Amino acid sequence: MAHQTIHRHTRLSIFMHWFNAVCWFFLLLTGLGLIRNDALQVFPAWPLWMRSVFGSPETLLLSHETVGIIWAGGFLIYGILLFRQEVIPFIREILTVEIPRDSLWLITKGIQMTLGYPALEKIAEKFGFDSRIPDQGFYNVGQKLFAIPSILGGVVIALTGFIMILSQYGTVAAELVQWSIVIHFITVGLVFAGLLIHIFMAAIAKGEQPALISMFTGTVPEDYAHHHHKLWLDEIRASDAAETSPAQGNG
Amino acid sequence: MRTQLAMVIDSSTCIDCKACMVACKVENQVPEGYWRNWVKSSEPRYADVDWMDSVRPAHFQPGGCMHCSNPTCVSACPTGATYKDESDGAVKVNDRLCIGCGYCIPACPYGARYRHPTRHVVDKCDFCQHRRDRGELPACVTTCPTKARVFGDINNPKSDAAQLLKQNRSIQIVHESVNTQPNMYYLSATAPINWPVKPGKPDAMQFWKLINPSIWGVVGLNALGVLLMLGKQILMSHDKPAADNSSPEKES
Repeated sequence: MAHQTIHRHTRLSIFMHWFNAVCWFFLLLTGLGLIRNDALQVFPAWPLWMRSVFGSPETLLLSHETVGIIWAGGFLIYGILLFRQEVIPFIREILTVEIPRDSLWLITKGIQMTLGYPALEKIAEKFGFDSRIPDQGFYNVGQKLFAIPSILGGVVIALTGFIMILSQYGTVAAELVQWSIVIHFITVGLVFAGLLIHIFMAAIAKGEQPALISMFTGTVPEDYAHHHHKLWLDEIRASDAAETSPAQGNG
Repeated sequence: MRTQLAMVIDSSTCIDCKACMVACKVENQVPEGYWRNWVKSSEPRYADVDWMDSVRPAHFQPGGCMHCSNPTCVSACPTGATYKDESDGAVKVNDRLCIGCGYCIPACPYGARYRHPTRHVVDKCDFCQHRRDRGELPACVTTCPTKARVFGDINNPKSDAAQLLKQNRSIQIVHESVNTQPNMYYLSATAPINWPVKPGKPDAMQFWKLINPSIWGVVGLNALGVLLMLGKQILMSHDKPAADNSSPEKES
């Protein structure tokens, strides 16, 4: 039973994940290279280097804009075509938060990851809460708390980017462009700060390798699902049972 | 020494004919309602108690972008689309990098910049780059009937501009709040001189500068946190192999 695998990601959502990752990586590096101002740039050599790599600053800008349009356009098409199948269930899942259970998860998981199990048990005993880490659904609440601002941030980044592109081809109010630049930068910074944790938790943290592998294969081992996403596994089992039991009844 | 193109102006010879403004507008196809250069004039004084002594006719002052050595517009540009060209010392706009955000426009104390209504980028004097490329002088210099504007490399002692500067006293026009080190020199004296404005920043740019350390700080703190966790994982893995996986299995 333990070696059984469970379907977790569709091929298309795996593709969109890596499409997003590659675009983000490219756009982050080129975008950082577009900020060339002594008062704003923390790595003054980076824009010079990027401009050399791309041959000229205008090529760098054009590349950033082109990939940005591909990124936003890709998600727009995906969002429209798979609105019912993938977008709605995804949004419903990330917005489903059960506050007592999930806040306890954040506390216990946080202590366990940073200080370890023995410390968690001691602290739980001292403050009188359950040291067991509550079960989680398809996503744990940490993933949900990253997913929600990432989706909203993505929309903000795409819109402000679009305004900046539009500014070069039609008259956009100067204030709108000026604020778009700042909001674009701030949003990317905040989502990237969360992205660092996402990358650590998914690709580096111990015990999470099956999650990373599932972003290629689409499946996770059953014991991993049981350990990390028990409520989701229970749901699958319940629906499997619901599908099979009437057949058995008839047979 | 590095080339620094500059304009040395004898404003006392200016007759306010505005030929320089017309020449510039035609040469650079400056759209209606905008100017890359100007002729300013002082207020004439006629009536006074001792009017014969105090009579002072208007003084005319040709000007334009001063191609400053401390350009506040360059400091305001977020991308480096506005830059001080090291090869000739002129302040230029890369119109394929500029997206027309206009951060630079209020940053210029002289009002030498505007947002081009059809090209959607910031436009300004470039000392007629296209004319200089074919060995000609800027249009305003060539056209001036009284030769009030003298153009050249002031770091080249043989140039007319450098000679004039050497042989005469000159003044530069700045706003008291910042020494922009303009490369437009007026011989002996000129008027008016109190017209530059304090370099300003749009609200968005001010907000960006305010919040910039916080954004980098949040990213830096998270990066540090991830590195610490990674370090912990590497160092602790020998002590407690697979501790994370084994423990919760006991619970259920």
